[in-house]
Amino acid sequence: MKRRQFVLGAASLAGAAVVGLPGCSSGSSGSSGGGGSVTLQMVESLTNPARSVVLKNLLGEFEAANPGIKVQLISPPTEQADQKIQQMLQSGSGADVLEVRDLTVGPFSNNGWLYDMSGDVAKWDGFANLTEQAQKYAKQNDGKTYFIPYGFYGLSLFYRTDLIKEAGFSAPPKTWDELLTQASAIQDPAKNRYGYAFRGGKNGSGNVVAAIEAYVGDTIDRENAFKIEGGQSIFAAPEAQAAVDTYFQLFRKASPPSSVAWGYPEMVEGFNNGSTAFLLQDPEVIATVSASKVLKADQWNTAPLLTGPAGKAAQPVATSGWGVAQSSKNKEAAVKLVEFLSGDASTTFAKENSLVPIQKKAGDDDFYKTGPWASYVTMTKAPQTYLTVVQPRGVAWWTEWSTKADNEVQQVLINKLSTGDLLKSWDAYWVKKWQG
Amino acid sequence: MAVTDRASPPSQRPAERSSPALPRRKRQFTVRRGLGLLGFLAPALVFVAIFTYYPLVRGSEMAFKQWNLYDLRHTPFVGLANFKTLLANPTFYTVLVHSVVWVVGSIVPQLLIGFGLALLLRRRFRFRGLYQALVFFPWAVSGFLIGILFRWMFNGEFGVFNDLLRKAGLIDTNIAWLADPTLAMFSVIVANVWYGVTFFTIMILAALQSVPDEMLEAAALDGANKVRTLFHIMIPFIRTTLLLTVLLRVIWVFNFPEIIYGMTGGGPAEQTHIVTSWMINFTQAGDYGLASALGLIVVAVLVLFTTFYLLALRDRDAR
Repeated sequence: MKRRQFVLGAASLAGAAVVGLPGCSSGSSGSSGGGGSVTLQMVESLTNPARSVVLKNLLGEFEAANPGIKVQLISPPTEQADQKIQQMLQSGSGADVLEVRDLTVGPFSNNGWLYDMSGDVAKWDGFANLTEQAQKYAKQNDGKTYFIPYGFYGLSLFYRTDLIKEAGFSAPPKTWDELLTQASAIQDPAKNRYGYAFRGGKNGSGNVVAAIEAYVGDTIDRENAFKIEGGQSIFAAPEAQAAVDTYFQLFRKASPPSSVAWGYPEMVEGFNNGSTAFLLQDPEVIATVSASKVLKADQWNTAPLLTGPAGKAAQPVATSGWGVAQSSKNKEAAVKLVEFLSGDASTTFAKENSLVPIQKKAGDDDFYKTGPWASYVTMTKAPQTYLTVVQPRGVAWWTEWSTKADNEVQQVLINKLSTGDLLKSWDAYWVKKWQG
Repeated sequence: MAVTDRASPPSQRPAERSSPALPRRKRQFTVRRGLGLLGFLAPALVFVAIFTYYPLVRGSEMAFKQWNLYDLRHTPFVGLANFKTLLANPTFYTVLVHSVVWVVGSIVPQLLIGFGLALLLRRRFRFRGLYQALVFFPWAVSGFLIGILFRWMFNGEFGVFNDLLRKAGLIDTNIAWLADPTLAMFSVIVANVWYGVTFFTIMILAALQSVPDEMLEAAALDGANKVRTLFHIMIPFIRTTLLLTVLLRVIWVFNFPEIIYGMTGGGPAEQTHIVTSWMINFTQAGDYGLASALGLIVVAVLVLFTTFYLLALRDRDAR
């Protein structure tokens, strides 16, 4: 091969390899129907094998109750699922029913890819059976219904009953300060025992924000939990400095040094294998810890979310649900499926996947009253202490914010940034965004 | 010297430089024959056009537009704005330096270890096939999965590396491999070296197997020892393969963010981000305009590198 040809060839290959990556953003697949029967294509996002089995069983029940409607479940790997869904929606084919997350409802609806179910929901009797929270999250700011939540994620404190007893404490911590005290007392690196499963890696900023929100609990704007009354950002509030100082003390005094890089799997594994005494996590971890080969049932429990000095905690609820694609040619059947999955089936789905349920009557179920679920009931019964708040997760820049915030949390952990500068940077970021 | 004379690559031997003994009959070009050829080429051309050049053109187009997933109904042309945004960001220059460290730190050990393994595998010994299969195995595993596996192995508290070092009595306290910026870069490079050695082994082994046994036997008869045979016969003989393999690997490793993304996500505090892992951040944030602009910058860097590399080789050959 001549050299010039080779240079051109190599350059073309290099170009194709890199520029092609974001360029591959559209694709196509098909939704089928006909012959008097309808086949719905349903795509899930937060896929895991056990969950897909539960979902398939529920879809089997739906098909049995609705002869003439078949459902084909598509389960892309979680990491690529939202991108795959985006491609399907963009191409206008391949999905009738889809999993919509609070993080994706903004872009998906803004691009006109989601069907507004407001009219259908108004005629659906089952909507009244949903909890107030579920009804609230089923409607977006513009009053339209792009998805119905199938359950909620919310933080609670997983703790080791035996370790806090050994350290001389009679009850789990109620406040962030108490957590720091107890976790520091339990910490003993020589025994490979650590107080707190610190999240320094991906989404590590979420827990920093949870601490700040607890400290500004008296003045927090519940409809935009990044603001306090008066419109200032929570990061500029006077209480924010104490919150971040306490939170980062947890890392310095009571966490594994390598937790600078810990994400979800390491945190859960740290608690699950008995290395750490405290873990702040969503309820799906209940199922994981229940299956632990190291921890026995009497060695752990959950406690309500930690409060700040004013005795309040803010629960930043995260959710996902089922929606219908605007491009679906079988909207009637698709809405029927969403309503089915949001009915009694949702309680089965929530139980099997350790989610806070959306059905009002599910709260009476013994399953949710006992053991590790009891802390969620405690929080639900004390709404003045455990405030349900809405974080601005639907904004276009949410992922950009998360990346920036996670990066700066790690800068604090490796002593490249002070906590004061962290707060100034976060405040400046949000003020600029709000100003447009 | 006799040894080096015999080491000339086959393509330079007089017998092979001469024209073939029988003159080739030139076949007449006809429209029918042309259409036939086009028909045979068509599937490949269509495939390349759809899966290589269409995304390339679309990606290039996005680089000059505001192309945000949040609002795809409004994608105006913004000229060079995306490029200006990137070049004004200090992180761009940091990740560029990291990319060089990542490429050099990965490729040099890969080449040396790959060469060593290829030399070992060239000899015939019992279970050579099994050994070859074991050496080539990493190449069959996805880079992202390797990143996740090494992330656990380098975990400060539960990882196997610290456990082995403790048991060997080399450390008393755990090393936080992925929490310290320097150690984190070292760790991701170790994982990449493990992964990439195989490619060098495969390429170099194939090249070494083309070295004629007669040439090696002649060298031995002339009294050349193993080191001399290696440096004066084998390496000159496979030089072209080596240089092209290095070139391919530079392009490849520069564009290989999977291990980094799986292991550290670019952290701590962006200290292990290379250009292409940083690019993933933009796609995840839905900003395909910025991601595409960054992709075009990477193309420019690699085209420049490739051009200089090949020109330097040509100059060296000319001398």
